[in-house]
Amino acid sequence: MDFFIDPIYQFTLLILITLGGVLITISVHMIPVGGAPAAMSQATGVGTGTTQLAAGAGLTGLLVAASVYILSGDALLCLVLGGIGSAIMLSIAMLIANIGYIYGVGIPLASGKASRDPITKDRQDIYVSKGTEGHGIPTAAFLSGIAGGFVGGIGGSLIFVALLKSPAGLPFESMSAVIPGAIILSIALFFVNAVIASYNIGGTIEGYYDQKFKKLPKAVVVSALITLICGIMCLLIMIQLELAYYGVNV
Amino acid sequence: MDPLIGMGVLALIGAVAAIAGYTEDLESVVGSQSNPNSQVQLAPQMKYPHRLFNKAISGEPLSNGLAAVIGAVIAVSLDIYFDLSVPTLIVAGSIAAMMIHVVLATTSFFGRISSQSRFKQPLYMDVFKTHIPTIAAYAFMTTACILIICFLMSIYLSVGIPIPLLALILGITVGAIGSAVGDTHYGSERLYQNLEFGSGINAAYSGNIVRKAESGIRSGMDNSWFASKFGGPTTGIAFAAVLFMTSWMTVLFNPAWGNAVGWLGLIAGILFVAATAVINRYLEKSARRNFGPYREEEKTEIVE
Repeated sequence: MDFFIDPIYQFTLLILITLGGVLITISVHMIPVGGAPAAMSQATGVGTGTTQLAAGAGLTGLLVAASVYILSGDALLCLVLGGIGSAIMLSIAMLIANIGYIYGVGIPLASGKASRDPITKDRQDIYVSKGTEGHGIPTAAFLSGIAGGFVGGIGGSLIFVALLKSPAGLPFESMSAVIPGAIILSIALFFVNAVIASYNIGGTIEGYYDQKFKKLPKAVVVSALITLICGIMCLLIMIQLELAYYGVNV
Repeated sequence: MDPLIGMGVLALIGAVAAIAGYTEDLESVVGSQSNPNSQVQLAPQMKYPHRLFNKAISGEPLSNGLAAVIGAVIAVSLDIYFDLSVPTLIVAGSIAAMMIHVVLATTSFFGRISSQSRFKQPLYMDVFKTHIPTIAAYAFMTTACILIICFLMSIYLSVGIPIPLLALILGITVGAIGSAVGDTHYGSERLYQNLEFGSGINAAYSGNIVRKAESGIRSGMDNSWFASKFGGPTTGIAFAAVLFMTSWMTVLFNPAWGNAVGWLGLIAGILFVAATAVINRYLEKSARRNFGPYREEEKTEIVE
């Protein structure tokens, strides 16, 4: 028996996983999503579901984080580049969605929730067409989305790295078995936290200046609790890998 | 690996990704599977029976992720037991994924339309027979392109993630982008083409979708013709740009050459994100200048 499972070390990882889950919940609140109404230009934001957009962005970040970890092995670089990967995905999706709104549908970008854009101070209410609650992604929502993508990417990468470090007794050669496990569990935790945030958002949110953003503390508490429980399960799965490597029957 | 070869592979990945995004958007438009599906679903209840193909297997990301992962698992399993070339593996995997997708499309079409029988929505068998081959073809193309990207990334860029997992991630990403970018053109413009151009859809018109085509009665085919001119290409560009820009960070600034190079990649990423924000601001201002406000600006102060 040349391995030892350190409870304090695993507990630290559990705290990191919980932190990652909370970051994902915060990020979903910051990304401007309009749900189905935005696809009909009836609401401000990207025209897709909360969970789906957040998952698409977060998984892109996770892909970058995983490849950076494999290439360099540096956890901090992996976290930050994972975050920037998510931010890049969201910025491209929002920019080209805006091109679609402006040139395809022929509407200016306008927020329905704020009468002036919080960042550029542009007048918003007179650019909102009749019977809608705004359309497109104006600058404040765009920047909020980029920040949200960055935070969510860091959260997803944090969970990934924490799970990856859990079977610490494994040699580097067996990384090819551990990385897929860590990725699958990170995807699972990403979806769990994105869905928790969706209940708070209820379909549409414009970003940090939306009234619904004030409901964030409740979601953070719920997310921390759920991620803690799920994190224990995930860590147990990852420890099993180490036990299996050393031939321990559980 | 030589960075020049890496850039070549990235360019190839970008080209294939553009096709994947294009076909993904058209597949969702033919079957009206995405957020605008709510309007197609609502139309019979508002007494507007239609001849559109109505399938919403699930959200686009999950449906595409499922197809991609089925294709990848079949391809990788065949690779283990038989000595086949990579193109054969990709085709075999994509055919399997396409067949599952067609089964799901069929059941969701019959289920969704027959559940609306109380609103006098007919079940058109000719709509089913003409649309299913198109949906199958687009699903095949999307899955094949995702698998090509996965094999290229796995072999040349040495991503180190197993191909089925990579396919799941890319499938979810292409669905998220197709749903976010391409469908707004279908939902806001094509389904409500009778309304005046240059306005969001008034919520009072919900369900009142256009049912007459350029010639005859409109079907999903007419919609895919329309989407292929704007919604599809923009989705393709977006997916290609996402894959190119995120892989480019690790290929040109490979962290394996040292951590300092990796941090340079971070700076490049931040610069790119800032550039998109600047372009977005320019677009916003130009749209406001050219289109003008819907209401006259009141002289009174705004009530916050």
